[in-house]
Amino acid sequence: MLFVAFIILLGPFLVIFFASFEPTSTLRFPPTGFTLSWFKKVIAMPMFQKSFLLSLRLALLSSFFALLLGVPVGYLTARYDFKLKRFIELLTTLPVIIPGMVAGLALLKFFVLLNVFDVETTLLVGHTAIVLPYVVRSTVASLVNFPASVEEAAMSLGATPLKNFFLVVLPNIRVGIVSAFILTFITSFNNVPISLFLTGPGVSTLPIVMMTYMEYYYNPSIAALSTLLIGATLAVVLLAQKIFGISKLL
Amino acid sequence: MKRYSLLLPALIFLFIFFIIPLMTVLVESIYQPAKGWLFVNYLKFFTQRISRVAYTRSLLMGLLVVAVSALIGYPTAMAIVSVKNDSLKSLLLTLVVFPQMTNSVARTFSWLAVLGREGMVNNLLISLRVIDTPIRLLYTPGAVFLGLLQLFLPLMIISLTSSLENLPKDVPLAAKSLGATGFRLFTKIYLPLTSEGIVSGCTLVFTGCITAYVTPAVLGGSRVLMLSTLLFQKASVTLDWNMATVIAVVMFLTTLAVNYSSKLLSKAGVKS
Repeated sequence: MLFVAFIILLGPFLVIFFASFEPTSTLRFPPTGFTLSWFKKVIAMPMFQKSFLLSLRLALLSSFFALLLGVPVGYLTARYDFKLKRFIELLTTLPVIIPGMVAGLALLKFFVLLNVFDVETTLLVGHTAIVLPYVVRSTVASLVNFPASVEEAAMSLGATPLKNFFLVVLPNIRVGIVSAFILTFITSFNNVPISLFLTGPGVSTLPIVMMTYMEYYYNPSIAALSTLLIGATLAVVLLAQKIFGISKLL
Repeated sequence: MKRYSLLLPALIFLFIFFIIPLMTVLVESIYQPAKGWLFVNYLKFFTQRISRVAYTRSLLMGLLVVAVSALIGYPTAMAIVSVKNDSLKSLLLTLVVFPQMTNSVARTFSWLAVLGREGMVNNLLISLRVIDTPIRLLYTPGAVFLGLLQLFLPLMIISLTSSLENLPKDVPLAAKSLGATGFRLFTKIYLPLTSEGIVSGCTLVFTGCITAYVTPAVLGGSRVLMLSTLLFQKASVTLDWNMATVIAVVMFLTTLAVNYSSKLLSKAGVKS
C-alpha cells in the first residue's frame, strides 16, 4: 500500500519531468526525444517573467507583514492568559478555515469593485491575511519549546520586556520564524483562490497566468515551467527538512 | 496592559480586511436594502439543475475521496509509523507532504501529461494492445477524482500517522498476547484508538475537496462542474453576483457544518 500511495502522490511529477523534454509541440509521455527549448522559451516569455516577479513580490511582502503582525500575537497567546484569548485564537485561525474562494470573492466585492485599493494592494492584503494563521501557529509552537523561565531569568537580570523580546526570545525562536517564513512564502506564491478573483488585466500572479495560458496552448512549455516550479519546491522542502525537521507542519 | 496593544495591529488588520468583507458578503446574500429579503436566491440555488448538480457532485466526490484516501492512507500510515530508522521516516513523511507544497497549477498539469490523449496511460494501453485509439480520460469525474486524491491523501496520511504515533505501544501488544489477530485486532483496537485521527483526517480531506478550485478547474473544466468552479463561473464569466454569493455562503456553511459535526463525532468517540 505504501507503494500505491507514493505512485499516486509522486508519479505525475516524474511524468511531467520527462514530458518537458519532448521536442514536438504535444504533451506526451514517454517523450520522443530530448530538447531544452521549452525551458528556454518559458524563461524568456515576458508574460511569465512579469507574473513571476509579481508572485515573488507578493510572497515576500505578505510573509514579511504576516510575521510583523503575527509574531506578537503568537508570543502573547503562548505566554499569557487574557480575557479575549479564545476569541483572538479563533480570529487568527479564521483565514485558514474560510474557503479561499469565499475569501477571494469577498475581497473582490469589497475592495476592488468599490475602488478602495488598487489590485496589487488588495492582493497583498489578501495574501497577508491568508498566511497570518501559519505565522501565529508556528510562533506558538516554537515558544512551547522555549521555556518562559529563560525570559524570566533575563528580566530578573535587568532586561526590559522589549530587550527581552529582541535579545532573548527572537534569537531562540529563530528556527520557528524561518520555517514559518518558508511556509508562508510557498503558500502565498502558490495561492490561486484569492489571486483568481483579484487579478486583472496586466496584474496577474504566475499560477493564474499559467492557467490562462493552458487554456489556449497545449504544449510542453507549461510542462517545462511546471517542472521548474516542482523542482524548486522539492529543493526547498528537502532543504527545510534537513535543517528544521518536519515537525513544523504537524 | 500596554503589551496587549501589540495584538491590535493584527486584530485591526484582520477585522478591516477580512472579517468585514466576509460579513458583508454573507449579509448581502440574504438581505439588501434595495431589494429586501433575498431567500429566493437560495431557492434558485437548490432548484436550478446546474447548481444542484454541482453541489451534489462536490459532496459525492468529497465522500469518495475520503473513502479511498482512508483505505489507502491507513495502511500507508501504519507502514510509515513502523519504520525504525528515524531519518528514513522523516524522509518518507517529507515526500508525503511534498505534493501539498507544490504549485497547484503545476501539479494538476502533471496529470494532463498522465491522462492526456498522448499521455502515459493512453500510450501504455495502446502499446499493450488493450485499445486502438486514445480514450478521453481528461475532463471526466475520474480525472478530477485522481487529482483530488493526490492532493488530499497526504492530509489523511499525516493525520493518521500522528494518531498512530501517539498510540501506546503496549496496547496492541497486550491485545495480541490475549489472542487478537488480524481483522479483530484492527476493528477492536486500532480503529477506536485512532478514531480522532481518522475523523480529523476525513474532515480535512472532505472540506478540502469541497473548496478546491484548481484541480476541478484544470482536470474537469466546464464538463465536470463542481461548487468551486461554478462559483468562479458565476462571478467572473456570467457576472451573476447574486448566485455567486449564494454559492460562496453555501460552501462556507457546508464546511462549517462538517467541521462542527466532526467535533461532535470526536467527542463521542473519545467518550466511548
